[in-house]
Amino acid sequence: MRKKQQQHKDWGVSYGELIWREFRKNKLSIISLAFVIFLFIVAVLAPFLANSKPYFIRIDGRLHFPLFADLKRNDYCIFLAAALAIVQLLLIRRNRRSIDPSIRGALLWRQLSVSTVILITGCILIYIFVPRRLDATDYKAKLAAGRAANALFPPIPYGFGQTNLKVREQPPGPGHPLGTDDVGSDVLCRLIHGSRISLSVGFVAVGISTLIGVFFGAMLGYFGGKVDFIGMRFVEIMMAVPAFFLIITIVAFFPRSLFNIMIIIGITSWTRDARFIRAEFFKLRKQDFVQAALSLGLPLRSILFRHMLPNGIAPVLVNATFGIAGAIFIEAALSFLGFGVAPPTPSWGQMLSLGVSTSGRFLWWLTLFPGLAIFLTVMAYNLVGEALRDAIDPRLRKAP
Amino acid sequence: MKQDTENIQTPDQAPLLKVDDLRTYFPVKKGLLRHTVGYIRAVDGVSFEVRPGHTVGLVGESGCGKTTVARTIIRLIPATDGTVIFEDFNVLKAKTAQRRRLRRDVSLIFQDPYGSLNPRMTVGNIVGEPVKVHRKLSGPSLRQYVAQLLAKVGLSADSINRYPHEFSGGQRQRIGVARALALQPKLVICDEPVSALDVSIQSQILNLLKNLQAEFGLTYLFIAHDLAVVEFACDIVAVMYMGRIVERATAEQLYQNPLHPYTRALMAAIPKVNTAGRGRKTATGGEVPSALTPPKGCPFHPRCPLAEQICTNKRPPLEKKNSGQQKDDYESHFVACWKC
Amino acid sequence: MSRDNLLLSVNDLSVTFLTEDGAVKAVQNVGFDVGKGKTFALVGESGCGKSVTALSIMRLIPSPPGKIVGGTINFRGHNLLKLAEKQMQRIRGNRIAMIFQEPMTSLNPVYTVGDQIVEAIRLHRKRTTEQAWADAVEMLRKVGISDPQHRVVEYPHQMSGGMRQRVMIAMAVSCAPSLLIADEPTTALDVTIQAQILDLLDDLQQQNAMSILLITHSLGVVAERADTVAVMYASRIVETADAEPIFKQPLHPYTQGLLKSVPQLGYRGKHLPTIAGTVPEPLHFPPGCKFHPRCPIGADDPRCRTAEPLLRQVLPGRLVACWYAPGYETEQERKEYEARYGKHPNPRPSSTAQS
Repeated sequence: MRKKQQQHKDWGVSYGELIWREFRKNKLSIISLAFVIFLFIVAVLAPFLANSKPYFIRIDGRLHFPLFADLKRNDYCIFLAAALAIVQLLLIRRNRRSIDPSIRGALLWRQLSVSTVILITGCILIYIFVPRRLDATDYKAKLAAGRAANALFPPIPYGFGQTNLKVREQPPGPGHPLGTDDVGSDVLCRLIHGSRISLSVGFVAVGISTLIGVFFGAMLGYFGGKVDFIGMRFVEIMMAVPAFFLIITIVAFFPRSLFNIMIIIGITSWTRDARFIRAEFFKLRKQDFVQAALSLGLPLRSILFRHMLPNGIAPVLVNATFGIAGAIFIEAALSFLGFGVAPPTPSWGQMLSLGVSTSGRFLWWLTLFPGLAIFLTVMAYNLVGEALRDAIDPRLRKAP
Repeated sequence: MKQDTENIQTPDQAPLLKVDDLRTYFPVKKGLLRHTVGYIRAVDGVSFEVRPGHTVGLVGESGCGKTTVARTIIRLIPATDGTVIFEDFNVLKAKTAQRRRLRRDVSLIFQDPYGSLNPRMTVGNIVGEPVKVHRKLSGPSLRQYVAQLLAKVGLSADSINRYPHEFSGGQRQRIGVARALALQPKLVICDEPVSALDVSIQSQILNLLKNLQAEFGLTYLFIAHDLAVVEFACDIVAVMYMGRIVERATAEQLYQNPLHPYTRALMAAIPKVNTAGRGRKTATGGEVPSALTPPKGCPFHPRCPLAEQICTNKRPPLEKKNSGQQKDDYESHFVACWKC
Repeated sequence: MSRDNLLLSVNDLSVTFLTEDGAVKAVQNVGFDVGKGKTFALVGESGCGKSVTALSIMRLIPSPPGKIVGGTINFRGHNLLKLAEKQMQRIRGNRIAMIFQEPMTSLNPVYTVGDQIVEAIRLHRKRTTEQAWADAVEMLRKVGISDPQHRVVEYPHQMSGGMRQRVMIAMAVSCAPSLLIADEPTTALDVTIQAQILDLLDDLQQQNAMSILLITHSLGVVAERADTVAVMYASRIVETADAEPIFKQPLHPYTQGLLKSVPQLGYRGKHLPTIAGTVPEPLHFPPGCKFHPRCPIGADDPRCRTAEPLLRQVLPGRLVACWYAPGYETEQERKEYEARYGKHPNPRPSSTAQS
């Protein structure tokens, strides 16, 4: 590998690489990033980690794979997305090693678009062709009754919707390492599946808010004048409304679904991104290289996406990581207050609210573990965001 | 088309660029409703010609409007009044096809080597993108063209995959020159191309510009604040003050016989690299007045040692000073001063 | 220079910056003397180390990553590098003052100019508030700002560049320092304002018997205002002399090239003479003489490529660092050269030809 790199010693180091190198130097940021990646893995592999169905089981002499057979459509979509993400990262790595820096940008865009198209068509196909299933067989009972043998269960052999009133409100102990909640579901299992909820809220909400914010801010920043005047008044009105109360109000009117919550958080938090991009675009508009691009008659599309946006996106990226942390936190708060997702969908915030049960006992394990999960996740994303900001800043100052 | 830049062409040579009474005013807005309270007269009636193959210089201190003239000509800033005729059309009222011609045939070299290159693009893309857009070259032929361009400005072909931050100021300026030449323009506007560079690099870039002019038959509009640089690089020099041209002549005439008091003040103030002029100068007092409230009459009168009553009331027009020889207006000596 | 007339003496100063890419030797073995009431100019292009030298005198080098690794700076009998920070604070602004290139970023935008001058006065002198404000108005008048009573309560952004520079000068000389360090004081100003500011500095120098250490890249400014000049290149001083001799007869090829390549009014040639190549990066200094890759003499010379010439006195008051400067080489060195490399390239030089 080193030999290949020497061949390309006249390749410049791109901005992204510089930032990554700077990022890597901070030990805390690497740990936080590792935790974030760990959470991702847990979220993607959730059905394999905590499930009431075994990987395989022998019934009447034949080998069945109940867990695999019972995978839902959501699961398949998530697997597809994860696989595409891994492929994309590998492609980026390959690009860095063996593709001209001059072509890399356009190539990356093409790869990303292809991945997105595959993802969307894949998900549509999955939804069309994979039937809805529900396998209600109690495999453990079968095993216990001797009608099945040679079963391998996942490490946490409980489903997140599985209730067992006989073991409700149990503190951590054998069989249930983190205890059970008020209907007997295993806490660890719900924590694992709850990570999917938290992460998807984080990313979708931030994705929506970033898209809206960047589009809006870019328009205001590029055109300025009257467009900016009117647009900013609109942004200010949006900002004057207290976001959390707006969210609660809207959520009260709409049916409680995860999808709604993600969208609502997204459309109430785009104003910060808009202001960042607008400020950056104002600055960039006056920069000589943008003026040079204009004077050479380059198309508007190129000026916005090749010249201005890459140079102004830095604060937006940093804000996005903080936004993910914030969105996770808002979702937890909503669920805690009872406005979030409804059971049986597992949500960390909702689990928190169960800490004080109807019987008056303080179920400390229902507060500690979900609380810890929220705390660690939010902190990890915040640390990554700060490290990213620190990595970008000295580069911005060093570059000229 | 090779032009000898030493000899001025025959009098009936059609100008490549003709600027006539150009005015660019910036409105000053105040208040909640942003109503206009006044105007900054950045360019206040500037007229000059540039003939093919020549270098015409605009020189003046900061705030005199020379950069605004450059950016107005290339339509980066909207003009308020006047005409700019490039070849056969008025740039300020150009239609789409003419605007495209303008973008191809007139290019700009910027002052700041650090801000004029997109830090996120490779050098190859910076120089090659306009070629891709306008001339529809791509792939290996584009690469070859870009490599040739870079070689012409003294950079090696392996710069193509490097990023601007890996180059020194002088090298970045060369990249800027390469970009300006990418579309094979007819007129290149050099906006303070060497002001931000080290002394030993300035001469390299100035020589480069002259060589390229000879090789490609380029025409330059050269903007600077250093009279010595302008005198070296230009055939015709126009001195600007507060948005107006106060004196215009060939470089030789201007150096040998500066007429306007401001030109003289500029020349006196330039530090000379020899110890003959040591000691205190009677420096021209005062500062450039605020552009919002320019003085009535001649803009230089508050600082002018020759100022009189008429200078405070009436603005002097740019007039030809008959030096005896019957010369074309292009090469004649023009001054805007009541006392000359 | 006799002891009595010597105000500042820098000896063998070396400053290194420890960056993540390696140790950057910003200043190496720099030494010069500034006489009382005289103007000493440090001239060089960007990155040569002149600003770092000036900041080292004021002990304003940020301590990580910068480090003064050697040398002494003698000012009025004390070695500034060995003083405690508290003692240094009493000197800064008081005995040694500094003005910078960009007046807008050197003046605090949220305080009036009067506030800033008064702060400097009250820090070093025992004056009541009223007295200090009166002093401030007087300072503004001294630096040529008209209507100082009204100007003193203005903010920096309300003033032009030239005026801000005057304010900075007022702040600097408010306590009548014996040494004023001016780091590119006029680079950001128009040339007519530049002349005014330089005249002002001349006047103040005469009034207060103040020495000026002038840092600049403009050879013209140096020629007209400096008494003694040191030319810096790539962290070292390559030539030191009084102004007249150095401009009439520069000895170092860099100085010669520099003087020739500056465009001057009245130059009639078609092309400007240039120095080929670019200034070397501090992390990749060439071996031997740092200037040799660009030097008309040294580019092919085996000695210039391997052995770095250090600053040596060749005439009274003239120091050069070049093997081929007249009077530099000793007989011994010449013999060594001939023994090692064969024929010596230059005939025994008499006096350098005119530049």
